[in-house]
Amino acid sequence: MTFHRWAAIAWKEVLQIVRDGRSVGIVVAMPIIMMLAFGYGISFDLKHLPVYVFDREGSQQSQDLLKHFQASEYFNVVRTVNDYSTIVRALDGGRCKLALVVPYDFSQRLNEGRPVSIQALIDATDGNSANLAIAYSEAVILSYSQQVRLDWTLRRGHIGIQAPVSVDARTWFNENLESAANIVPGVVVIVMAVVGTFLTALTVAREWERGTMEQLIATPVTALELMLGKLAPYFAIGVLDTCLCAVFGILWYGVPFRGGWSIFFASSTLFLIVVLSLGYFISVVAKSQLAASQASLLATFLPAFLLSGFLFPIDQMPVAVRVLTYIMPARYYMAIIRNVFLKGSAVALLRNELLALAFLSCLLVFIATRVFKKKLN
Amino acid sequence: MLGRLRHMLIKEFIQVFRDKRTRFLLFGPPIIQMLIFGYAATLEIKHMPTAVLDYDNTQVSRDLISRFAASQYFDVRLLQTDRRDIKLLIDRGDVTLALQINDGFTRDLAKGKTGHIQVIVDSSNSNTALIGLGYVNEVAANFSQEYQTAQMLRQSPMTAAGLPTIVLDRRPWYNTDVSDRWFFIPGVIGNIILVIVINLTAFAVVREREIGTLEQIMVTPIRRVEFILGKTVPFFLIGLFDALLVSAFGTLWFGVPLNGSIGVLVLGTVLFLLSMLGIGLFISTVSKTQQQAMMTSFFFIMPSIIFSGFGTPISSMPETLQWLAYLNPLTYFLDVLRSVYLKGVGLDLLWQDMAAMALLGIIMLAVSVFRFQKSLD
Amino acid sequence: MTVDKDVPSVVVSDLVKTFGDFTAVDHISIEAYPGEIFGFLGPNGAGKSTTIRILCGLLRPTSGLAAVAGLDVGRRPEAVRQKIGYMSQKFSLYNDLTVIENIRFFAGMYSVPDALMPERVDWVLDMAGLKGRGLALTGTLATGWKQRLALGCAVLHRPQILFLDEPTSGVDPISRRQFWELIHRMAADGVTVFVTTHYMDEAEYCQRLVLIYRGQIVASGSPSKLKRESMKGELLLVECGQLGQALEVLQAGPGVLDAAIFGSKIHVVVTNAAEAIPLVRKYLSEHAVTVSKIEPIGPTLEDVFVALTSRRDEPAGGEKGQ
Repeated sequence: MTFHRWAAIAWKEVLQIVRDGRSVGIVVAMPIIMMLAFGYGISFDLKHLPVYVFDREGSQQSQDLLKHFQASEYFNVVRTVNDYSTIVRALDGGRCKLALVVPYDFSQRLNEGRPVSIQALIDATDGNSANLAIAYSEAVILSYSQQVRLDWTLRRGHIGIQAPVSVDARTWFNENLESAANIVPGVVVIVMAVVGTFLTALTVAREWERGTMEQLIATPVTALELMLGKLAPYFAIGVLDTCLCAVFGILWYGVPFRGGWSIFFASSTLFLIVVLSLGYFISVVAKSQLAASQASLLATFLPAFLLSGFLFPIDQMPVAVRVLTYIMPARYYMAIIRNVFLKGSAVALLRNELLALAFLSCLLVFIATRVFKKKLN
Repeated sequence: MLGRLRHMLIKEFIQVFRDKRTRFLLFGPPIIQMLIFGYAATLEIKHMPTAVLDYDNTQVSRDLISRFAASQYFDVRLLQTDRRDIKLLIDRGDVTLALQINDGFTRDLAKGKTGHIQVIVDSSNSNTALIGLGYVNEVAANFSQEYQTAQMLRQSPMTAAGLPTIVLDRRPWYNTDVSDRWFFIPGVIGNIILVIVINLTAFAVVREREIGTLEQIMVTPIRRVEFILGKTVPFFLIGLFDALLVSAFGTLWFGVPLNGSIGVLVLGTVLFLLSMLGIGLFISTVSKTQQQAMMTSFFFIMPSIIFSGFGTPISSMPETLQWLAYLNPLTYFLDVLRSVYLKGVGLDLLWQDMAAMALLGIIMLAVSVFRFQKSLD
Repeated sequence: MTVDKDVPSVVVSDLVKTFGDFTAVDHISIEAYPGEIFGFLGPNGAGKSTTIRILCGLLRPTSGLAAVAGLDVGRRPEAVRQKIGYMSQKFSLYNDLTVIENIRFFAGMYSVPDALMPERVDWVLDMAGLKGRGLALTGTLATGWKQRLALGCAVLHRPQILFLDEPTSGVDPISRRQFWELIHRMAADGVTVFVTTHYMDEAEYCQRLVLIYRGQIVASGSPSKLKRESMKGELLLVECGQLGQALEVLQAGPGVLDAAIFGSKIHVVVTNAAEAIPLVRKYLSEHAVTVSKIEPIGPTLEDVFVALTSRRDEPAGGEKGQ
């Protein structure tokens, strides 16, 4: 295999990329835009949930309880209403996501030492937000309940029973529980998947469509040289973009970087090899640009987004799907990246993931070259 | 004249259906996305692997631990006795939570003081961590409440008969199982239409320009309007078809309930399609090659999906960016989809969404058609 | 078609088209008549395609008049579309449609009514020689057949004027001959055929020609007129060995105005053929070139073209064409 031949091919690729202004834009702008979009657009933090309140009693005590809700930054008590049907319309129309109903005998029951329940009507369309809202509401209610009990026992002359159990929580790796710290490292994976496969598949498919590929094949260049030559610039772009994303995440979002850069680059290289080979494979098989682009999105973006543990935790998925994720390269890369940013574990702990990535990259290079050779004959 | 339009439609459909790759595009991605979102997409947290360190080792502490074990949210795996192991377990990702009950916990409780327990949570996934902590607090608080009641009973049986307790009566509306699936699947309809219609429309025009047939058509007596209709109507119909496909699949396979009226759903789909066609057309006027069209589409599609309330609520986005969501037709369409499917509301509450989509659609179509006409000169 | 043969069907008057700084068409004036095969000859980039596209209403002129069938195409391009047919340089039918589907599509574009469709399809298949291959995918046809199909689709609505932009590039000689037979038949029917080509031998088929070079008309007239009048001097055919060396040497030969290689032979332009032959023969053998034949020949259009364009390129200033 001669250096000159594949270097010539690589250089041609570079020229074409550079001259096509839009390609340059994609290469530089897209990672940043994706970082911004994902970082700000996806957030699991629940804030200012619009709440309606129907206080049937309107006593000092019920007002007191509701003030606790108002004080929480998770809730935003928008309106107090006087009938049930307004609540129904508001929930239906999405003007509130949570409605609290205080019964008419609230304080009476409390004074008599009887249990009383507050109705929480929650718009459960968005299950996750609903769960969070319920959890926060429970917290408010429980803490208020504790307080009422304490007052009650003190007034009757008993020993004040404080909250018996207090939970002292330590959050590791992501102290402020920010969504960004969770999401942003994951975006690196997605950007790599897109740049690596999407761009590659598209450009190579275009050459097939235009016939310039046949031109190249007619020269003495070998299949491997051709593939390496074509992919080399995209590899360089991929590395560049990975660094760009990492730096952006660290500087803009303030995501910590606790691991080693060597693991970062090693795993990124392996992942790039995987996605580039995949892109090449797709372009050979798909033949048309439209097909190549859709196939690559289907094969990399979707899995990276849905099946890598980016948004949806893998261990919560049904068994069949979980098994499927084992063949997704993005899963391993995602785990490594998250670790490198947030945990900083030793390499030994990441051994399995690295091995898996290495294996997949060899496999894909093999498949891609085989398919390409078959196509040439 | 309808004659020419008819011929354009025939040609367009022949081209879409003859190529087995575009044929696949109509069915493949929709069904694959449905399956993945239906099965993999879940933000619900159950069976979180938990490690427990019990330094107290009494009846009471074991009781507390059993509460955690009994909860479906926790999968109490390991009872450790050494704190150093905990770090390793969390680093490796073997457990998400570690509970530590300190020596003297029960003694403190008996004396009427607060007993402390420590929780270490791996918050690299902040959503999981938040929810996990919420559940921990809930279990601890319930335990507290019962312990208090039991203590009261021992101290003064009479009064303990009535201890005030406030309980949250949670009523999830619309999505009674709080299933993530029911939340995501109507959203997938919006995504599919967005991606397919924009891509196909943009491609259809750009490809003709690239291969030269555009010129041949322009030389015929066809009028601009007819040509534009010829390039948009087929994808309008394809969009409707795919919407139908995904809806049917969602309801028949996944059992997502359709509580509202199909008419409203169709109206929303039609209005949404208008903006999608407009955007596809617009992209075709700014792209000279298919590759550019593809990249531009991606640039547009990706933020549209993120800033639409698809996965996470708009209210969780930073306020300065929320306006982006309000310029996005997908935001309104998703609201319509979820409201019709899960809430069963009618036009009286959805007319604002419809109006927004209509307005955006008309503007986008007008701008695109204008640009398109100019580009033909 | 009852058309007045004396009224020009295509009129171009002082047409100019600029793209930024570049002038593609530089004050061109032309007239073409019904039933005429009018040729537009010139090298690539001369402005042929641009002119044709203006006449088809695909480009707007920068200034000047372009009129087709009496209508100002520059100002109202839509008006003439039903009356003209156009075949572009690049093959522009749909490769993923069958032959019949392509025909039906374009017939539909020209509003051929459904009732007449089968007859029209048959007509095109017949004309293009594709009977029995109607169900083949257009992309699978050889170039020659594709071009004939494209021609068929360009004329299926019986236009008065036909614009063909390099219709036979990349086509084998036999198909080219057949193609031109079709064109002749149409011209006989009264259609104005406006052709661009850079194949000089094809230009001989045209009744009238216009030579274009760098956006300007260098010469115009019938092929024979051009051959008669544009050549300054007479032409010799020289067959010899050592072509490269012979060419160099001949440029400075006695009475030689110009010399150029044509295939495996050399064409030499001299002031007087009879006088020059023995002189040249002697001259060449003095320079160690073996001569097998020298004879006078009549000029081809290629000779005419080379003569006219090299004159234009001369630093002393070219002459304006007749």
